[in-house]
Amino acid sequence: MTALAVALSFAVLLLGILVVGLLRSHADVLRALHSLGAGIGDPSADVDDHDHGAGPVPITMGPRLPSERGAAAPDVFGTTPAGDAVAVSAGAADLTLLAFLTGGCGTCHAFWKGLSTRAALGLPTGSRVVIVTKGPELESPELVAGLAPPGIEVILSTAAWVDYEVPAAPYFALVDGRAQRRVGEGLASTVEQLAGLIQRVVADGNHRFAPARTHLDGPEREVDNDRALLASGIGPGDPSLYPTSTHAASE
Amino acid sequence: MRTLAAHGLRAALPVGFEGRIHRHEPAAGEQTYAVAHFSTFALPPTTADFGNGAVQLMATRDIFAVLLEYGTESVGRRLFADHGMPRAFEHRDFSRLAARDGSGVQSAVQRFFVEGGRPFTLYVVLGSHLGRRALLAPLRSLLDGIHIEPRPVRPRVIG
Repeated sequence: MTALAVALSFAVLLLGILVVGLLRSHADVLRALHSLGAGIGDPSADVDDHDHGAGPVPITMGPRLPSERGAAAPDVFGTTPAGDAVAVSAGAADLTLLAFLTGGCGTCHAFWKGLSTRAALGLPTGSRVVIVTKGPELESPELVAGLAPPGIEVILSTAAWVDYEVPAAPYFALVDGRAQRRVGEGLASTVEQLAGLIQRVVADGNHRFAPARTHLDGPEREVDNDRALLASGIGPGDPSLYPTSTHAASE
Repeated sequence: MRTLAAHGLRAALPVGFEGRIHRHEPAAGEQTYAVAHFSTFALPPTTADFGNGAVQLMATRDIFAVLLEYGTESVGRRLFADHGMPRAFEHRDFSRLAARDGSGVQSAVQRFFVEGGRPFTLYVVLGSHLGRRALLAPLRSLLDGIHIEPRPVRPRVIG
């Protein structure tokens, strides 16, 4: 009985020593973490008293990373399918639709045809459409020339694809000319989807794309009228300027 | 500032300007030469050589410029007596009569010259005759950035 009591006491003593050792080891770990600024453990503890030579590690913030996608609208420099040099300024029109297409992708074919019908896109007055393909080193100018819709600027420019961070074709970017920034962009697989994108941007109250009009009179008003008619595709001699009857339109 | 270059012409475009340097496709036995258009507004792809189709779209704050090359047979003629492209204009150089819009609102100037052995005409239209002074500085920055290659460029010839 006595031997058993002695053995148990010895075991308790050993376990006590083990627990004290573990507690000291744990305290050392906490102090080390606290001195590194991790904020773990007792914040009221005096770290300096237990400094083992390694000073606190300063934590500094690195440079702010750029946002995932920029909103800048750089000018587009490139060549025409005929090899001529062309540059389109993002600020030259109230609203510019940049359509990034390729000659080979099947989805793009609907847009090579569909972009020529501006009415289907719902673009406001004072806007324009520019088709941008990759440069002649990656795209066939002859193929692009065959696809180019009449009356729409087509530019071959790999740099523009990089500038606008185009992920895939067909891709579209709407540029506000006054702010010279992108106000809408994205992929679309049908002309209807693209028209929806345009309508959402145009309906956004933060943007005014209609050209600012001041009251004009005399020759300036005449020039302004001519400009509006030309922008709508009505040139000199257009039959709609000479109606035979005022009721013709309603009949 | 990025540079537009083709057919022996180079233009460092100031902010707000766009442009196109092209040559017409020649017919058989015909020669064609460089035509450069610059504007502060959306330049229609169908703009005629002297701006028809584009000047009608100009607002009063806009600038349109044409640099059109002629055949080398024009070198030495009296019309092309001036040497070097004019790059600095004053407001008195512009007139309503030189503008071809017929409205009296726009103002224009035209000069003929030879540079680098190549005969050219420079035709500049400002959106407003009354406001032309304010447009002279951006016009100057455009013209200062235009460089005409001195060496003769072989024109496109078919036939």
